Amino acid sequence: MDKFKKKFLEEATDNLAELEEALLKLEQAPNDSGLIERVFRYMHSIKGGGSMFGFTGLSDFTHHLENIYDRIREGTLSVNQGLLDVTLEAVDHMKNLLQEDDQLSPETEIKHKNLTVQMMQLLETREQKGAAEPVKNNPGQGEQQKTYYITFDPAEEIFDNGTNPLFLMDELAGLGDLYAMPFLERVPLLEDIDPRRCYTHWEVVLSTTEEEQAIHDVFIFVEDQAHIDIRLLADTNLLADASFRKTLDEKGQQDQGLGLDALKALAAGCVAGEAQQGSAEEGRRVVEQVKKDDVLSSIRVGSEKIDHMMNLVSELVTTQARLSLHAEQSEDGELAAIAENVQKLTRQLRDNAFDIALVPVETMLTRFHRLVRDLSNSLNKSVRLVTEGAETELDKNIIEKLTDPLLHILRNSIDHGIETPDERLKAGKPEEGKITLKAYYSGASVHIQVHDDGKGLDTEKIKEKAIERQIISPESILSRKEILELIFLPGFSTSANVTDVSGRGVGMDVVRRNLADIRGEVEVDSEPGSGTTLTVKLPLTLSIIDGLLVQLADNQYVIPLSAVDKIYAARHSDVVDTFNNLIVLDGERIPFFYLREEFGLPESDSETEEIVVVQYDNNRIGMVVDGVIGEYQAVLKSLGKMYKYQDMISGATILGDGTVALVMDTNKMIDRFSEEHQKKIYVESSK
Amino acid sequence: MKKEELENINSYLTFKLGEEEFAAHVSKVLSIMEMVKITKVPKSPEYMQGVINLRGQVLPVVDTRIKFGMTPTEFTANTCIVVMEVEVNGESVQVGTLVDSVQEVLEISDDQIQPPPSIGSKYKSEFISGMAKLDEHFIMMLDMDHVFSAEEMLNVQASAEDGKQQAAEVTETSGPVSG
Repeated sequence: MDKFKKKFLEEATDNLAELEEALLKLEQAPNDSGLIERVFRYMHSIKGGGSMFGFTGLSDFTHHLENIYDRIREGTLSVNQGLLDVTLEAVDHMKNLLQEDDQLSPETEIKHKNLTVQMMQLLETREQKGAAEPVKNNPGQGEQQKTYYITFDPAEEIFDNGTNPLFLMDELAGLGDLYAMPFLERVPLLEDIDPRRCYTHWEVVLSTTEEEQAIHDVFIFVEDQAHIDIRLLADTNLLADASFRKTLDEKGQQDQGLGLDALKALAAGCVAGEAQQGSAEEGRRVVEQVKKDDVLSSIRVGSEKIDHMMNLVSELVTTQARLSLHAEQSEDGELAAIAENVQKLTRQLRDNAFDIALVPVETMLTRFHRLVRDLSNSLNKSVRLVTEGAETELDKNIIEKLTDPLLHILRNSIDHGIETPDERLKAGKPEEGKITLKAYYSGASVHIQVHDDGKGLDTEKIKEKAIERQIISPESILSRKEILELIFLPGFSTSANVTDVSGRGVGMDVVRRNLADIRGEVEVDSEPGSGTTLTVKLPLTLSIIDGLLVQLADNQYVIPLSAVDKIYAARHSDVVDTFNNLIVLDGERIPFFYLREEFGLPESDSETEEIVVVQYDNNRIGMVVDGVIGEYQAVLKSLGKMYKYQDMISGATILGDGTVALVMDTNKMIDRFSEEHQKKIYVESSK
Repeated sequence: MKKEELENINSYLTFKLGEEEFAAHVSKVLSIMEMVKITKVPKSPEYMQGVINLRGQVLPVVDTRIKFGMTPTEFTANTCIVVMEVEVNGESVQVGTLVDSVQEVLEISDDQIQPPPSIGSKYKSEFISGMAKLDEHFIMMLDMDHVFSAEEMLNVQASAEDGKQQAAEVTETSGPVSG
């Protein structure tokens, strides 16, 4: 059962996320019946699963919520701000309930009570209003299909009363969908049969919209002549589930009864699979249709499995490169043809595998909508978040690390960018502020742009602040762009007073650093009075980089192409016998490092060298290598724990011939070399 | 076989470094590879030979001879890389160890193992957990986890720091050889 429980937790977490998203949409369109239906369905699935897996607290709690939305569905209660506030808070609480299971912390306990009271109040208001209408006994459950498990074990002498059990079965079948399993194992040999005795007993699965009482009513006259047990299996129509039926068909052939436990387990499996399908009242056909779509459209896979697959695929890519190399060299035409096919397949497989690891930006959006909603409320601002390009996809590892920086940017936009409604009206803007989050592809990278139509950044104020904080000197002359860049420096915060939202001095510098971890960059642009735009540029994937393959002694190295500026050829003597490691390239004096020397390798005996000029902050630095081999798509691998201290090398990649090439982190490398050179100069000068 | 079961058997892989025979418990040994080209990682301590491609994973390779205070490995046809899984600070780490030649897998019962000699060893004896006498020769039982233990890892870092400063003077001692 633990497996099911885990599965339920996953499903419920998903359902809660969907629910939250639907609620936020509902806030925009309070009368959208489709949305209300969705909200109701998610609640229902959570409730059903919760009671099935022993999350009774969650299930009861959700039940109240469900009642509220059922009434909204009936049209006797309308969606309003207060109601949504309570609902969203309840959703948060449900997340806690899921995590804490049975052991509630005191805070959760209090919250639980408060929210329950609030929900009851919401229900009360409507009950007074709706008192005049004819209300069904339990409207929340009225149209709901439920599945019951009934054991009917009549006494042998039941015929004596004139009761025909088959009629009872017919009557049951009249209540809804019936699946009856008669068991005949007690029937004796023919010569021993007493025709006045009943040897058969039944197990029945019934899906019905009727209440349990109705089932009891069927058996009302035979209750004391039979053993009758009626149990609720699920809050959905299990018989609409083809796989459930099939299992019943198989199991029903056996002589022994299935027993409640077996059926419950079976039902649990079906419900878990069905949890997202929504309520069964839309009829079996629809449910089956939806289920089919679900199965086809997505499956759930652990992320470590994907990581493993990516490893295998990159291994395959390198092995395939070897095969192609070998086939080319051999005379065997057939081998060449096979190798070509393998190459084609490998390329498709690789593209496909990378595609699998991509996740749409959309997955982060619910959190953003929630943040904008909650934050603008607490700041008494009116802000709308508009998203574009939510279908843009990024590597899942990037998405995970991107959420926090983006949340921070949004927080800043709402807190510092968007003005209060009064200020906005005075400035001739619409009362409601607008933040646009736009994601789009740009070459081999993805750009995410956050634009607000707020007051924009005040360059004078930034400059003052930077001078005050001694980040720049008062006489420095900076371009507009350079001033804007100052906000990314450590210890910079433009807010005049520190709020609890942003402006704790840990601001944009952290954003920039966190983004750098996923090889992302952030840029800012701002127009005073009309808003600020932050653009985050990200690589499509973390696991593959475009690099320049270079030769250095026996080894090959990869320099990330993003760092490379230009490649020059140079004479050996120009780079070896220099006094201050400067070389003139394109009329510019460029400092360089002779990598063989830096790595402790012997000087090369070649006449020519090649210089790869890389970008280091805003400077250009030359790296002298033996030769440039060409561009290379490097699948990044970690060097492992044994090389943890080694920060100049960001990883390794496996080449077509199976050997390993190291990937340089040019920034760290240059940092380190400069440090060493300074030390050397210091040592020499102190001699 | 499960790892726990492996740990309970008395099988050891023996290999030679120079003329001496060493043994490592089979539960630590993952595979034995013939020599491949080793990619040297710049600015590393001398005994860190570099990295190789082990079925798509990047595996660090240690020159066991240097680690044990002997002269660096000279590559011959018998030189092998023994891939081991060792525990470092509670984490398991895979590492390739260079050995001059792999001998055999031996059953050595606990009563054949004597405590290690405390003095007079020409090797760094802290890695040796015992001596086994078989026929006429001794086999040194290695404590592989200890070889890569916490202090040892610190030493790696320390020598990396040293390496930084001495980098200019250090010359390449052993170039990678393909096998």
